[in-house]
Amino acid sequence: MDPKLTEVSQYFERFKAACVREDIDTSANLLSQLKVLLTSFRSLPPLFEVTPNAVQELTIARDIYEHAVLLSVKMGDQDAFERDFFQLKPYYTDARKRLPRSPQEHMILGLNLLRLLVQNRIAEFHTELELLPAESLEDPCIKHAVELEQSFMEGAYNRVLTAKQTVPNQSYDYFMDLLAKTVRDEIAGCSEKAYDFLSINDARQMLLFSSDNELLKYINEEHPEWEIKDGSVIFQKAKETAPCKEIPSLQLINQTLSYARELERIV
Amino acid sequence: SDLKPKKNIQEKLSSEKSTVLLFQSLFPVRRRQFSVKMSTAPAQDVEMKETPDPASAPSNSATSAAPSALQHLKEIASLIETGAYAREVRRIARAIRLTMALRRKLKTSVVSAFLNFALTPGSEAHSRLSSYLPKEDDHEMEVDTATSVVQAPVKHSLPELEIFSYLLVLIFLIDQKRYSEAKACSSASIARLKNINRRTVDVLASRLYFYYSLSYEHTGDLAEIRGNLLALHQIATLRHDELGQETLLNLLLRNYLHYNLYDQAEKLRSKAPRFEAHSNQQFCRYLFYLGKIRTIQLEYTDAKESLLQAARKAPIAALCFRIQCTKWAVIVRLLLGEIPERTVFMQKGMETALRPYFELTNAVRIGDLELFKSVAEKFSETFSLDRTQNLIVRLRHNVIRTGLRNISISYSRISLTDVAKKLRLDSPNPVADAESIVSKAIRDGAIDATIDHAKGWMVSKETGDIYSTNEPQMAFNSRIAFCLNMHNEAVRALRFPPNSHKEKEIAEKRRERQQQEQELAKHIAEEDDDEF
Repeated sequence: MDPKLTEVSQYFERFKAACVREDIDTSANLLSQLKVLLTSFRSLPPLFEVTPNAVQELTIARDIYEHAVLLSVKMGDQDAFERDFFQLKPYYTDARKRLPRSPQEHMILGLNLLRLLVQNRIAEFHTELELLPAESLEDPCIKHAVELEQSFMEGAYNRVLTAKQTVPNQSYDYFMDLLAKTVRDEIAGCSEKAYDFLSINDARQMLLFSSDNELLKYINEEHPEWEIKDGSVIFQKAKETAPCKEIPSLQLINQTLSYARELERIV
Repeated sequence: SDLKPKKNIQEKLSSEKSTVLLFQSLFPVRRRQFSVKMSTAPAQDVEMKETPDPASAPSNSATSAAPSALQHLKEIASLIETGAYAREVRRIARAIRLTMALRRKLKTSVVSAFLNFALTPGSEAHSRLSSYLPKEDDHEMEVDTATSVVQAPVKHSLPELEIFSYLLVLIFLIDQKRYSEAKACSSASIARLKNINRRTVDVLASRLYFYYSLSYEHTGDLAEIRGNLLALHQIATLRHDELGQETLLNLLLRNYLHYNLYDQAEKLRSKAPRFEAHSNQQFCRYLFYLGKIRTIQLEYTDAKESLLQAARKAPIAALCFRIQCTKWAVIVRLLLGEIPERTVFMQKGMETALRPYFELTNAVRIGDLELFKSVAEKFSETFSLDRTQNLIVRLRHNVIRTGLRNISISYSRISLTDVAKKLRLDSPNPVADAESIVSKAIRDGAIDATIDHAKGWMVSKETGDIYSTNEPQMAFNSRIAFCLNMHNEAVRALRFPPNSHKEKEIAEKRRERQQQEQELAKHIAEEDDDEF
């Protein structure tokens, strides 16, 4: 076997061991070393040259990047996740014909979808979804992310929170926690508009706090405009009577001037 | 009649052509009909003159269609020559239109006879092109050589004629469904095109690019030519070949969208240089692809505008294209929350194709989740063929919203359990779901209500009088802006034939021209009456 390939495999074994041990620093160091070593292989993207060891090199590189992605989830570093995922993507799309399917492919794709959802990049979420072939959508990891997005759009937030229990994989926990926080903000925003007032117990249940103190702290920090009176949270202050509707004169003037200009225009 | 007898056919041809050009400027919509009409009339004259010619007699006996098709092609070739020498691109564009009208009449014998006529028989181009044509029996070959001997030998081999021959062979191969040969032919033509840098070839070149992409698409190899198309686009931009740029951009977008690479398509589209559209067909295609990209990126308002404009601007004959635009436009409108009216689905020729979408709209309008699910399952193959499956999934949210809106309008106060039952949410905990859905709908402004958590019901507020607000003013404003914009665009689109102001007209000619104009005007008026 190629000496470079053996070296990379050895480093990779050490890297995997460090990840299992949850030793973040060693793993990060080994990862950067591995990335430098990988640049010497010519069969990897973007070159995709055909060398005798191409399949092995591609497989090892793909495994390295998959572990890198999972490591970044453990570290909680979303930027690193994005970088590593983008480097991993060509192995799934362009190199599809050269390599056998990776067992973790769907899991990582689902993780990426979840990340986009948490960061509220819904347009990219849907673009990524379009790239998946129809049979991938049956996979539990991806289905989980898709259903989550649907519940989020519809506003059935309690379904989002129950989905937390049915995570297909442990690495999803990090994103689910972030999602829970977003959901809480959303619920608070909706409750503001929808309810006139809520009892403290109900508010606590809806916003998923375990004690009244946490609830009060949350309200003080995020929503100081809510009033707390008689054991209930009052959302709307008495609305001031709307002043007599003023004519939006500036807008009307603009519109009429534009009509006059267009009619007299010589094209 | 006052018409002076013409000295020869050529003069008559040219005067009719200029009349037609003038009419094309005054009545742009009629353009296509007129060019076909004008081409058949003089062709018959030419044919009658040449029937006594002994060489065409045997081919006359073989098939009666062959001589007129070949004569058409020769006319078109002469049109291209005059256009090339006079550097008038419009003539070449007209030549292409006439060729498209001839498509159905092309046969191997006709094509090979034309090749013999247009290209010097020994040249490299001729041999290459002839190799793509299927071999025919000897009888046809005799006829061809006979006709070619009688005709005057062609003067020089113009690059335009060569490219036109490539185009003709390519169209013929694609119509015969010989896609692998079409692929080879088109690749050869692209290689040839890279060396020619003349504006008069641009129109032909853009057609070639289109058929190049089409032949690869039919064999399923679109991804291979992506690099080539990008390089061609670069070359076209360097040479300021705007029609080529437009065509190639559309082909690239089509390439990316074929593989669902919406992200890359958008990146290309945003960076490519934009200019006034040269060709209506290319503009329609561009709008359609733009609409598709915007839909996937959740920008529904822009998408709706593009798709509706594409459907409107498309020529009536392009039925399948308009059906596709309408399908996507319907879905985008549903996603925006508005229900398309029934007449959209009842347009001529589109009823069967749009039937699944009609039922889908019905389900969304009623707001019934069960019906929606059953419709989506019933027509799932159609939807996956149209690649709208993912968009339909997004519609679920709209169905719930519409249902909720109906409920809130009909009831002043309703308990949340009843809401959950009416919406038919299939979930383990419907009441809690319903509550959160309702609160989100209130926050988004879809319905006007409040929830009473303790008692567990929803109370709707009264809807105010809409005419006392600014809404009508806004709606009118947008319509007025649209009409004014349309007027400006129409004025800008008026065209006059170039050099028309340079010709000096003698009194006689002017009289004749006016007479012909009157006749044509009468003809148009009669046609209008016929249509109504």
